[in-house]
Amino acid sequence: MSDRCVVTGRGLVSALGHDPGAVHDALCEGRGGLAPVELFDATALTRPVAGEVKGFEPRRHLGERNLRPLDRTSRLVTVAAQLALDDAGSTPAGRAEAEVGLVLGTVYGSVRTIAEFDRRALTAGPSYASPMDFANTVINAPAGQAAIWHGLRGVSSTVSTGAASGLQAIAAGAALVAAGRAEALLAGGAEELAFESFLAMERAGLLALVAPDPVPFECPARGFLPGEGAGLLMLEPESAVARRGARPLAEVRGCGTGFDPSLGSDSGSARAAAERAIRAALVAGQTRSDELGGLLVGASGAAADEALAAALAGALGPAAASLPVAAPKASLGETLGADGGLQAVLAVESLLRGRLPGIRGFEPREGFALSGAGAAPQPLVHPCLLLLSGSADGHAAAVLLARPR
Amino acid sequence: MSSRVVVSGIGLVTSLGCDVEAFWDALLAGRCGTGPVRSFDTSAYPVHVGGEVADFDPASVPTRLDRATLGRTTLFALSAARRALADAGLDPQRLDPLRAGVAMGTTSGEPREVERFNDRFVAGDLAGLGPELATAYPCAGIPARVAADLGFAGPNLMVPNACAAGNFAAAHAMDALRRGEADLMLAGGADSFSRITYTGFARLGAIAPERCQPFDRNRRGMIPAEGAAVLVLETAESARRRGARIYAELLGFGASCDAHHITASSPDGEGPARAMRAALVHAGLAPERVDYVSAHGTGTPTNDRCEAMAIARVFGDRAGRLPVSSAKSMLGHAMGAASAIEAAICALAIHTGRIPPTAHFETPDPECPLDCVPNEAREARVEVAMNNACGFGGTNASLLLGRAPA
Repeated sequence: MSDRCVVTGRGLVSALGHDPGAVHDALCEGRGGLAPVELFDATALTRPVAGEVKGFEPRRHLGERNLRPLDRTSRLVTVAAQLALDDAGSTPAGRAEAEVGLVLGTVYGSVRTIAEFDRRALTAGPSYASPMDFANTVINAPAGQAAIWHGLRGVSSTVSTGAASGLQAIAAGAALVAAGRAEALLAGGAEELAFESFLAMERAGLLALVAPDPVPFECPARGFLPGEGAGLLMLEPESAVARRGARPLAEVRGCGTGFDPSLGSDSGSARAAAERAIRAALVAGQTRSDELGGLLVGASGAAADEALAAALAGALGPAAASLPVAAPKASLGETLGADGGLQAVLAVESLLRGRLPGIRGFEPREGFALSGAGAAPQPLVHPCLLLLSGSADGHAAAVLLARPR
Repeated sequence: MSSRVVVSGIGLVTSLGCDVEAFWDALLAGRCGTGPVRSFDTSAYPVHVGGEVADFDPASVPTRLDRATLGRTTLFALSAARRALADAGLDPQRLDPLRAGVAMGTTSGEPREVERFNDRFVAGDLAGLGPELATAYPCAGIPARVAADLGFAGPNLMVPNACAAGNFAAAHAMDALRRGEADLMLAGGADSFSRITYTGFARLGAIAPERCQPFDRNRRGMIPAEGAAVLVLETAESARRRGARIYAELLGFGASCDAHHITASSPDGEGPARAMRAALVHAGLAPERVDYVSAHGTGTPTNDRCEAMAIARVFGDRAGRLPVSSAKSMLGHAMGAASAIEAAICALAIHTGRIPPTAHFETPDPECPLDCVPNEAREARVEVAMNNACGFGGTNASLLLGRAPA
């Protein structure tokens, strides 16, 4: 039995705050969240500037229970989940009655914990490594910790497809809800800032190592700066929401994915993969490109941005040139696995307010396919947004979010 | 419109070998693939056994990719993928690239990249730290590289759901095929032996000193292992059209979360039982239809007790008569590969009419009142098999396989 999948709650933790409305405001005002790293000793990094979640106080949201078993990624997820569950009106008592699941996208998951666990064993001997830390070394530990914290007894699944992970998780979660295989679940993504991954990205030549901060879609591309955060949507079947007389915030109208077997080495192949993701989402959502009101794109300043823009132009035709474009990574950094979840929360906020933030620092230029892009926020002509993420190594995912019909 | 999905190829990399027939014979004979750890020095550890894939030669894996970018787990996955396609009689070059995809699971991905990073970092060699944690480490690279090597542009994803990951990958692949997003999916799991995983399980006191003895009253733990399994999944129509040998059909999948403890099992078996029931509901089958359960069966005191409780919850009075065996008694626990290997075992049990034993079984445990097929393989007509898996994070996943439609 097929049902519509709707959004009944949203929660985010980002470098610009934890309130969807406030973060939306900040993006509309063109505020940036990139700043010098304070989270770890960054002296080995050439340019330690990132979209760090500063002053993160999980206790403000989670209360006095023991936080020690939760590493940073787990805390980011658990707080975003708390906010999304509260927003949806889900209570612990309700979750004891009916299963709520969690489908989480991430790239690195637990890389800092796994590295620290191993370093402790290396330097002090294996018998000094912490069994509690070991539990958090597995890539799905953040999903597991959030499930324990909130009593999420439904499906607990982590998905990983590079920077497309968050939208991929929403696609996977929405499919379970629409097929009647999940009563309710949280879906989105999370990523922490960590020294180990930051340094490796620098050594891989992926980062913008000189000021100013990178701007999505800029030409020539100069690379990105890392970010962190978490964003989750509560997804439920429309029929169940209607039965309890609640009103959904938005509808997940369609999802699509694409894969580039050249792993980003052939820009035509990368563009084609993102185009397939977009077209599949439009087909699934029975939506034409001229019914879209705007685009949210996971562009970061990396060379791969070009394939995303070309894919949008290819798949949407003339509509691509007139649509407003948001690229939250301009202000939040390359949030990798968190990006899709953050995009989705901001998309819901944009649908509710009828206004889409612009791209911080973006200057329109001749010949750029997305000529509706600009730094200023713009009104939504249609209450339907296309979200697109792509990773430099092959994965792409697209999601259509719309005001409920 | 929903297609039936069948298993038409199996590729393995295990501590009992990589050839499907030889593996199956070894398993039915109750042979053990675990032994002294060889890949690193265990003298500082209280235990010394593991289930390594001995003599795995990376150079023997054919690939079009740059070998410098391929970690051990990725090589296992690639090797299993190519073996599975060969087993299915398929030439990857003759498949429609847009209609062929890959779904893989893992627990740790490429943990040896973290070890390599730390070896240099601890030695103070910051200049020697390379890009590998950004290039070779992220686990999404495993299915991506398998697909890149084979030229597959269809659905591609990694589900790093710890020791339940292989079942999740099979479920994603089954869904993609049923929704018509692909004609062929490779689905499986891979993990490589690492000092990190070994240290962790040793610190949890979970590693058995000599042998893995699931469901035995005197069981003393699990044995970390490594490997990969990849299944070729395709629609029944496609398999029939090309006259393929069909091992089994995928019937359903169910998942749940204990939401109880990050490493310990659900204390009353309630979490895994919900996953088993969800799989039965998804497949539209009553519990009575299940003829064989491939247990998660790690051999730790709590896992096996809780799993026995879960099986009793789902199968009631039949729980004590239903054959339930654990291949981990012979292979060790291959982490993210385990449930993929065990899904292959279910398919082989259905196909050959033989159930592999639980090895090293000596003393029945009143807390595990199961027919665990002790020590001797058994002939049985298996119409439906259930593959159970539980992972860190409290994630549970059950996969149902059945005899292929005639």
